[in-house]
Amino acid sequence: MSVQYTAIGWNRQKKIYDTALAGGVVAYVAAFTGAGAIVHPNATIETLLIRGFGTLAFLLLHVILCIGPLCRLNRRFLPLLYNRRHLGVAMFLCALVHGVFSLVQFHALGDVNPLVSLFSSNTRFATVAHFPFQSLGFLALVILFLMAATSHDFWLHQLSPRVWKRLHMLVYVAYALLVAHVSLGALQSETSPLLAGLLLAGAATVVTLHLVAGRRERKADAPSAAIAADGFVEVCDFDSIPENRAKVVTLGEERVAVFRHNGKVSALSNVCRHQNGPLGEGRIIDGCVTCPWHGYQYDPETGMSPPPFTDQVPTYRTRISGNKVLVHPAPQGAQ
Amino acid sequence: MTGPLRRSHFHTWIVLAVALTTLLVAALSARKATTPVNPEWSWERLR
Repeated sequence: MSVQYTAIGWNRQKKIYDTALAGGVVAYVAAFTGAGAIVHPNATIETLLIRGFGTLAFLLLHVILCIGPLCRLNRRFLPLLYNRRHLGVAMFLCALVHGVFSLVQFHALGDVNPLVSLFSSNTRFATVAHFPFQSLGFLALVILFLMAATSHDFWLHQLSPRVWKRLHMLVYVAYALLVAHVSLGALQSETSPLLAGLLLAGAATVVTLHLVAGRRERKADAPSAAIAADGFVEVCDFDSIPENRAKVVTLGEERVAVFRHNGKVSALSNVCRHQNGPLGEGRIIDGCVTCPWHGYQYDPETGMSPPPFTDQVPTYRTRISGNKVLVHPAPQGAQ
Repeated sequence: MTGPLRRSHFHTWIVLAVALTTLLVAALSARKATTPVNPEWSWERLR
């Protein structure tokens, strides 16, 4: 962990980010309801708010899902990753407003509990055109709630990065449910090609970005060869590593970040203890390897976080032979 | 350490690519022209 790091640091960047986000939400809803009132003069304010918050939440979810693969493909997008959690919570709140308004508008005026009405008023599960799409949106909202509620370092440490990551991969299930929610709901009644076109373009963008980034990652996982007699593996040329930067190599099933600094090389696990961020894509700042995602820091020689923090990542023995860098694949220190 | 997670991500998106395409094609195929718009009529006037 970095000496400067705190779990919630309301630093200037976060305040600017959150202010811009809140302003964007207000501006979008105001523009949507204003334009909606002109185009559909008979629509009630509740209807316009349901549509406005629903489209905004869906749009934000697309942006959130694109940030990860964009960062894998191009480092210039990394600043977007810094505060993705706040974007996720904002998206959940917009989806919650959409859900609550819809529940009140369509299910709260009868003599049945609104939640019971949601699941019992339409049971035509065998049809496509009349499928009970609202229940799909409700299930997605439950998943988004679980993610928003655990979107804090407290839960990351309690659950462990591995479990937390698995839990947050449920966003893909939520996304599929929401595409179904829109396809079987709004798309069935809204016959203009605009909604269909936007839905197709959004889904195609998200899926393509993830597949391209995933394919690139698979290539990077190909293990390095050329094992020397003493067990060291030749990984790269010394000159190919920029000063205070790293080259990421794969040894067995592990990715290792080989850093060059002050004429030396140090190798440590590429996986940050915080959220499994790629340490090898960071750089050495103040003598410490600094994770590009959230700024966690580690000594390049020992893998230890600077005091008072106690995090540690595994390190690997290195050797320079001529211009060649060799790394022993057996990790040392923390596992 | 993160290899299995990366593989899970990739496989999930392969499945989603197929599933979402099927879903969108089915939803667009099932779409019917709605009742012709009558500018004199809106259910929201009944509220």
